[in-house]
Amino acid sequence: MSRSELGDFCSIVCFKAAIVGMEDALGEKATAIALTTAGRSRGKNLAKDLGLTGVNADWDLIRDKIGFALGANGTKLCKIEKIVEEDKLIKVSTSETLGSAGEVEGSSRKCTFTLGAVWGALEEITGKRLRGSHTESLLRGGNYDVFEFSPLV
Amino acid sequence: MPINASKIESILENFVSGTNDIQGATLVSTDGLSLASVLPNAMDDEKVSAMSAALLSLGERIGSELSRGSTDRIYVEGDKGYGVLTDCGDDAVLLVLANQSAKQGLLMLEIKRLTEELKLILM
Repeated sequence: MSRSELGDFCSIVCFKAAIVGMEDALGEKATAIALTTAGRSRGKNLAKDLGLTGVNADWDLIRDKIGFALGANGTKLCKIEKIVEEDKLIKVSTSETLGSAGEVEGSSRKCTFTLGAVWGALEEITGKRLRGSHTESLLRGGNYDVFEFSPLV
Repeated sequence: MPINASKIESILENFVSGTNDIQGATLVSTDGLSLASVLPNAMDDEKVSAMSAALLSLGERIGSELSRGSTDRIYVEGDKGYGVLTDCGDDAVLLVLANQSAKQGLLMLEIKRLTEELKLILM
């Protein structure tokens, strides 16, 4: 069912309240695992929908496609600024992430769902199991929210 | 030092095939990623991994919020069998699935032996 008046978007305020409520009830770690797993599933499905499963395309093209789907003209989860690969390490720089919205400078909040979404998309594209982490944050002096991925085994 | 996934998988395979009433076992990282698994075909490895890590984390929270101390094990008993989650060092969680015929004392002893063996590899 579509929402005839409200449309497809919901405020960050409500989404963040859901996250904070889950953290209060379940703890930060269990919530982070759940949201990252949900994000990975979302990212995998997105990459499939975009026809990117197992493609051997250049990272700029992938950034454009994933960035379009998640960015200003898509679901507005975040902006994908760049993707670079060095020595089997894939670094994805993002901005305007959902996790950082409404947070004060210096906040310890990490992007969990967004990390998962990028992670799942990259796993679907590369066909490899990856280990991901949020290594640089806009909230803690970084120029971007940076996610790094390396092969799991 | 990289994790030796094939060695861990071999240990899990020996454990599952060599122990009566055990149906599966998986070792996952504390952030919910599968390190090695020997599970029944119908089970989704990634979902099981996330559930295991989240459940152990939830158990730890119950332990601290309700003053139960540190959590070593979470035990799920259903009418079709058991699921036992065990802390396996700082970075991993072990899930063992057993059928309803399993003898609980024996199951716990086998799990204890297995976690000791796995911890040595993860060090």
